[in-house]
This record gives sequence, structure tokens and C-alpha cells, in this order.
Amino acid sequence: MFNLALKNILFYKGRSITTLILTFISALMFIVYVSMMDGSHESMLKNALKVYTGSIEIYKKDYRDIGGNEYLITDVQKIEKELDKIEGIDTYTARYETYGLLSSSTQSSASLVAGVEPLKEPSMSQLKVALVEGEFLSPTSGNCLYAGVDLVKKLEAKLGDEISFVGAASDNSFAADLFKLCGTFRTGSFSFDASSAFIARAYFDELMMSHNKASYINIKVHDLNDVDTINTQISAKIDDSIESLTWKTLMKTMVDAMEVDSIFGYITISIFYVVIFFVIMIFGFINVSSRIREFGTLRCIGLSRQKIRTLLFYEIFILSSIAIMIATPIGAYIAYYYSVHPIVIDGMSEMYKDYGIISDEIPFSFNLFTITWNISVVYLLNILSILYPMAFINSFKPVEAAHHV
Amino acid sequence: MIKIQNVNKYFYKGESREVHALRDINLEIKKGEFSLFNGPSGCGKTTLLNAIGALDSVDSGEIYLGETEITGLNEDARTSLRLNEMGFVFQAYNLVPVLNVEENIGFIMKLRGFSDSEIKARVQEVASFLEIDTKLKSLPNTLSGGQQQRVAVARAVAAKPKIILADEPTANLDSKNSLKLMDMMRSLNEKEDISIVFASHDELVIDNVRRVIKLKDGALVED
Ligand SMILES: Nc1ncnc2c1ncn2[C@@H]1O[C@H](COP(=O)(O)OP(=O)(O)OP(=O)(O)O)[C@@H](O)[C@H]1O
Ligand SMILES: [Mg+2]
Repeated sequence: MFNLALKNILFYKGRSITTLILTFISALMFIVYVSMMDGSHESMLKNALKVYTGSIEIYKKDYRDIGGNEYLITDVQKIEKELDKIEGIDTYTARYETYGLLSSSTQSSASLVAGVEPLKEPSMSQLKVALVEGEFLSPTSGNCLYAGVDLVKKLEAKLGDEISFVGAASDNSFAADLFKLCGTFRTGSFSFDASSAFIARAYFDELMMSHNKASYINIKVHDLNDVDTINTQISAKIDDSIESLTWKTLMKTMVDAMEVDSIFGYITISIFYVVIFFVIMIFGFINVSSRIREFGTLRCIGLSRQKIRTLLFYEIFILSSIAIMIATPIGAYIAYYYSVHPIVIDGMSEMYKDYGIISDEIPFSFNLFTITWNISVVYLLNILSILYPMAFINSFKPVEAAHHV
Repeated sequence: MIKIQNVNKYFYKGESREVHALRDINLEIKKGEFSLFNGPSGCGKTTLLNAIGALDSVDSGEIYLGETEITGLNEDARTSLRLNEMGFVFQAYNLVPVLNVEENIGFIMKLRGFSDSEIKARVQEVASFLEIDTKLKSLPNTLSGGQQQRVAVARAVAAKPKIILADEPTANLDSKNSLKLMDMMRSLNEKEDISIVFASHDELVIDNVRRVIKLKDGALVED
């Protein structure tokens, strides 16, 4: 049967070539499209993580939902001691965040103001490398403020200007001070750059009475794949009023949005596949229709229906395999190549800044598991496409088919 | 070897256009016979041949091939009976277009599981007998009608079936080729002791068989 199938493939060239080309294109497109979609999602997440969010963050329970001074971590040192014992953690830093009103001589803006550790922050986030003008904070930079460029623009301020701060300290008392604009940064994330400012903790803690307190502790792990195991270890060591969350939870909105985006991506590609599926099926059907007499003869001389099905199955299986065997390495190579050398579209990040895209690069994702299920789908569809022609040909009576003209 | 008892066959049974294609047929065909179903067009030759060949069912009566009652078998059993016990020759040759002459002749043997060396020897034997041994590597569509029909006969005979059923095998051939085919089939019938039954209204076939079974309106009229 297998040899006969091979010969049929070589004999009925039109059908074979069409099926080969369509299968090749669909397998290739599927691999490349999914790789691009996954890749851009992964890079959005990675970029977002790089900017400011940690791969794991530790909070007092309800801080993220309610917030406020009642939900601060109150014994940072105790937790940090535990963290030191856990393997796989690169660094950690305790941030104290508050919202307050920043005012220049002409403009005011509500903003996030965060006390950060100037020595640890550079290895945790992009804050330092995002510097545009002036300089980043240091442990001794005192009342120096480090603010996002878009915030500075709103405030119509320039380096060296005095910026006043009004807010509530960690004990709910009134807090006000005069800062000095020492540096500006641009991470690329517009909302972040337009509403965040930083100040060295050493100085800020005095003002806010926030020694040994933190809004949360931000943790950077060595290998992102270990994030769940490390998170379990941390959870075991901290007491019940405190929770440790991974980026999957922290960036839930973003992860959810990407899932929706993926679903739409798959719907788009499914529509494309339905079309290809029917074209392949129609070609299979036309081919089988032109061979009614041949199949009738085979049935007459003693081939069972099952053998006919096997024959047709082999034909589509061989064609699909050839097409997929050519398409897979090419698709995989493209995915791999662009995962290493991302496509760069100038101005893309500017255009889509509101969507959290901060880079002009579109890296592809290269994942063998994804490629495997992509080609399995193509295989499956191709094999399904022959079911109708199979049923059609087997619905004939052998003699009638053998005399078919 | 083949026993046909009280066989009746209708088309469109119960409808106004009902056709009584076979009427109370009783007939015996012995091993090694070289016979013909003859009669005017529409008399039921093909229908009877198909019933014997387990290609079509009948409405009443029984047909036996040796001890096996063909009329009682299901589709799978009939398929394997055709494969193992019968050979078919069609009016339009019906060779497998993608297989060359050698592969076509050996096709049924291959399906039945003969070894490659057995197949090769047997193909050589029947091909030289039917004078197509110079064409073994050719594809069917490069052969003349006479040659194609001889390939079809070779295919039918190669696996040594009990019986070969040939429906109008000469209808597409000129008289020279028809005669050659009949001669060869007759020699095969004698040499290999395989029963051959024709359905035909070709004079040339009538002249060359040993037994003529005449049908009219679905009934046996003369033997
Ligand atoms: N599949 C079918 N459906 C309906 N009627 C059929 C069918 N096959 C044969 N018949 C009818 O049965 C009768 C016998 O047909 P059959 O084909 O056996 O005749 P035949 O003797 O072989 O004729 P011919 O010499 O033309 O080949 C005819 O009246 C024909 O119209
Ligand atoms: Mg007929």
C-alpha cells in the first residue's frame, strides 16, 4: 500500500504539488506567526519586569488592594535576614512608596514618590541606566529628586530647580519638604515616566518616619524559571500577614491582556487554516473523483474498504510529512534567527507607548514545544481533510465504480 | 464448482419501474469450464456474472462457490473471497494506471502475500505466455488496447484463482486482437485448469467457447 501511495503521489502531480505547497506555507506561517506573537508578548513582559517590577515582591497582605500606611511591612530587617538564607536570589531591595503632590514654582502634579536604596536599585531596575540628564541618586544625595522626564515636563522644571513635596508620613502625620531636581530619566514606559519620582531612602525615611518599614520588598532571582520554587520557599519563611507574589500575579493585567491578544491571534490564524483546509480537501476530493474507476477496480479485485482508506491516508500522510519536514527547519530557523536578532521597527515604541511597548525590537520566541504542537495541528488538519474523500469513494459499489467513466 | 439455485434479482424492487433482472436461474458450472453467458442486450448477462463474482447481491436463491455460499456473505468476506478465489477481466481493461505491466500483473499476488521471488517467476511465466513480456516496465497508458487487455488477463490469472469472470472482454478490441485474446485465454484455461466464464454478445467469443448459456429477459433459455 505504501509503495502504491508513493506512486500515486508521483503520478497525480497536480494534486501532490498543490497539497505540498499549501501544507508547506501553512506550517511555515503557523510556526513563524506563533513565534512572533509569543516573542513579542515575552519581550513586553520582560521589558516591564526590567523597568521596575520585580520577579518576586513581598507585601503586607491587602497593601495591593487597599494600600495606605496600615499595610506597610514593619520589620524589613527580619524578612531580609530570611531572604539571605534562600538560594537563587540575586538581590533584593526594600522600597517605600507614597503618593504626594509635587510642585514647582509654576505647576503641580500628583505623583508616586518612592524612597529607594541607591546602591541596590541599579541591579534591580532600569532606573539608573534610564538617566537622561543630571545624575542618579546616591546614599548621600540627600534631598535630591530623580524624576521621570514626562513628569518634569509637566512641572515645567529643569535641573537644579526646587520642588516642593506635600504628603502623609508613615505614621499618618503631615509631611512636607523641599527637594531639589538632580536627575531625570526615561524608561520608555510613558505612564511610568509621567508620574514617578525617586529619592534616596536614607533621607526620605527621616522625613516619612519609615525606618525599617517598606511598601514592599523587591526581589530579583537568578533564573526566572526558578521563580515559583523560590516563591514557595519565601512564603514558608514569612508570617501569615505577609505575602510573597511572583510577577505572574503582579502583572496579572498585562498577562491577561496578552492572553486575550493570543486568542485573537489564534482566531485570525484559524480562519486562515479553515480556508487552507478546504482547499486541500477540495484538491483531495477532485483527485479522488478522477480516480473512481481506479478505486472501483481495486475494490472488485479484492481490496477492502479499509485498504482503500489506508491507501488514501498514506498519500496525504506522505505529502504532509514531506511539506512539514521542509517547513519545520525553515520555520524553526526563522524563529531562532529573529529570537537572536530581533526585527527592529523604528518608531514602534513611540507609536504604541500607551500599550506599554517600550522597545522598537520585536524578538521572536524560539520554543521547540510550541513548534511541535504547531506542526501537529497542521498534520491533524491535513489528515482530517482526506476523511470526506475517503467516505465519498467508499460509498460507491465496486462494480459501478469500476465501470465509471 | 459453482452452483446457482433459484436465483432471482430485481432492480428498483417495489417501484413502478421494477426490473426483474434474473428469473429463477438454476445452473452449475464445473471446474475447468470455458463458458459464455449470451443473449440480447439487457437480458441479464452482467447481472448474473456480478452475482457469481460476489460483486452484487441477489434477492432470493443461493450461489455456491465450492462449499461456500456466496449469497450469504458480508461485504468483508465477499471482498476476501474475490481476492483469494476469483479473477476479473473488464471491458475497459481497468489496469492500475500508476503501476507498470509487471506490477499490475503481480498486484493480486502481492496483496495475497506471495513472496517477491514467487511473484517474479509467475509474472514472467504468464507474461511470456500472453506475449507481453517485452513490455514489463511500461505503464498501461503506453500500451495498445489488445496489450492492455492481455495484461488484465495476466493479472487475473497470475494468482491462480478458481474462476475468472470476464464481462465483454473483447468489446473494445478489433477482431484480430479479440481472436488472439480468445486463443490465449482458451490455452490458459486448458493449461492451468482455471474455469473461465464470459458474458458477451460478440460472435467471436461465441465461436471460441465450449459452452454457451443463453439468457433472455433474465431467464435461462438454452444451455
Ligand atoms: N445498477 C442497475 N440499476 C438498475 N437497473 C439495472 C442495473 N444494472 C442492470 N440493470 C437492469 O437489469 C437488466 C439486466 O441488465 P444487465 O446489465 O445484466 O444486461 P446485459 O445482458 O449485461 O446487457 P448488455 O449486453 O447491454 O451488457 C437490464 O434491464 C438493466 O436495465
Ligand atoms: Mg453487460
